[in-house]
Amino acid sequence: MRSAVIVGLVACIGLLLQSTVFHGLGLGWIVPDVLLVLSVYLGLNQHSVAGSAGAFGLGYLQDAASGSPSGLNACGMLVVFVLVYLTCRRLWVDNVVSKVVLVFLASLIKATVVVLLLAALVPMRGGWSSVPGNLLTQAVFTAAVAPAVFWLLAISGIQAHRERD
Amino acid sequence: MDFLRRNRVLASALSLLLLSLLLLSISVRAKPYRDPLAEIVMLVFSPLQGAAQWVGRGVAGAWSGYVYLVGARVENEHLKRRVAELEADVIRLGELERGNARMAELLRFRSGLEGTVRGARVVGRDPQHWFRTLIIDIGRADGVRPGLAVLAPGGVVGRITEVGRSASRVLLLTDNDSGIAAIVQRSRAGGIVQGARDRGCRMNYLRRDIDVAVGDRVVTSGLDGIFPKGILIGEITEISLEHRDLLRSASLEPSVRLADLEEVLVVEPAIDLEGVED
Repeated sequence: MRSAVIVGLVACIGLLLQSTVFHGLGLGWIVPDVLLVLSVYLGLNQHSVAGSAGAFGLGYLQDAASGSPSGLNACGMLVVFVLVYLTCRRLWVDNVVSKVVLVFLASLIKATVVVLLLAALVPMRGGWSSVPGNLLTQAVFTAAVAPAVFWLLAISGIQAHRERD
Repeated sequence: MDFLRRNRVLASALSLLLLSLLLLSISVRAKPYRDPLAEIVMLVFSPLQGAAQWVGRGVAGAWSGYVYLVGARVENEHLKRRVAELEADVIRLGELERGNARMAELLRFRSGLEGTVRGARVVGRDPQHWFRTLIIDIGRADGVRPGLAVLAPGGVVGRITEVGRSASRVLLLTDNDSGIAAIVQRSRAGGIVQGARDRGCRMNYLRRDIDVAVGDRVVTSGLDGIFPKGILIGEITEISLEHRDLLRSASLEPSVRLADLEEVLVVEPAIDLEGVED
């Protein structure tokens, strides 16, 4: 319960930052995706139904706050959660650098999922040429904030919930 | 069932993924679709977003202000250095301008003189209190010899007393040993101008019956064979009787500011009286 509250609180703060302060950084429309970092965190540490529900909740919260079609970011977050969950069972992801790289890749994957879903479901004319560059930039900035988010969660004393193999 | 229990995380994630896709499908197709959660989120988040925006703007404003101040400090230091450089330039240019003006005046003055005229720079002054002399930067090698007149655009300075190879000593007209044949410009009264040290100089041996007044100008008479005729020496500031009231003497204010001299002219007269026999 405590973990859920802390993740929820960090998610709210992250969402607030994403929708306000981060836009003042002069990066245009590209903002670091704090909620994605949380989703990666859940995939790494919360191997439970609550973890997957949390990832869904994060994506759904992002959809609700951003005005995008409901389920779009939720899908992306869940894909990330599943991939990280499956990956971390085979790879040792423990230091900061590996987590940053993981977040970077996760950001690319989530963005790709979102773009594919949009392309499939929402008719868009043109505007795709700038997508790869934006995806990459977003991934870089998201990876850049990842250490801070992980540190915040680490000092909050959340207990990891891992499955026994 | 056991499989699902063992893979409950994946199963729940996949279920939620399907739910997401379903939601997405509904929200895309059923326009206008209003997600009830979106409204709640907006309701809760909008005041928080407003507050965060306000704080963010404040922080950004403070930061940009700080950056501006840092920039202003750097710019201020740069401008201070620039001002110092420009002030040095102004001083240097001012010196050049004044030097040019003096040179131009010297050349004008020189063009009106007869004989050989040599320009010289004052390089030193007598370090002792007792004498009134200057050191100039031309000497024997430049053709200077003792007894030559030293003039400035304002008038008489003195005469050469000692000559070195490349420097000479000038005895100023205010020195006690100085003596210049002079006349009062207005009345043509003749006399000898001698140095009176701190009191400037005096014109002695003025006849009592000749009209002399305070404010009269005294010029060289040319009779001493050293100074060209008609060069201004100074202005009479006071007249007194001397030699049992037989003669008069007048105090003079030298026309040249001897303390501020920087350049002078050494004049060799066209007619050399030294070779003339008595």
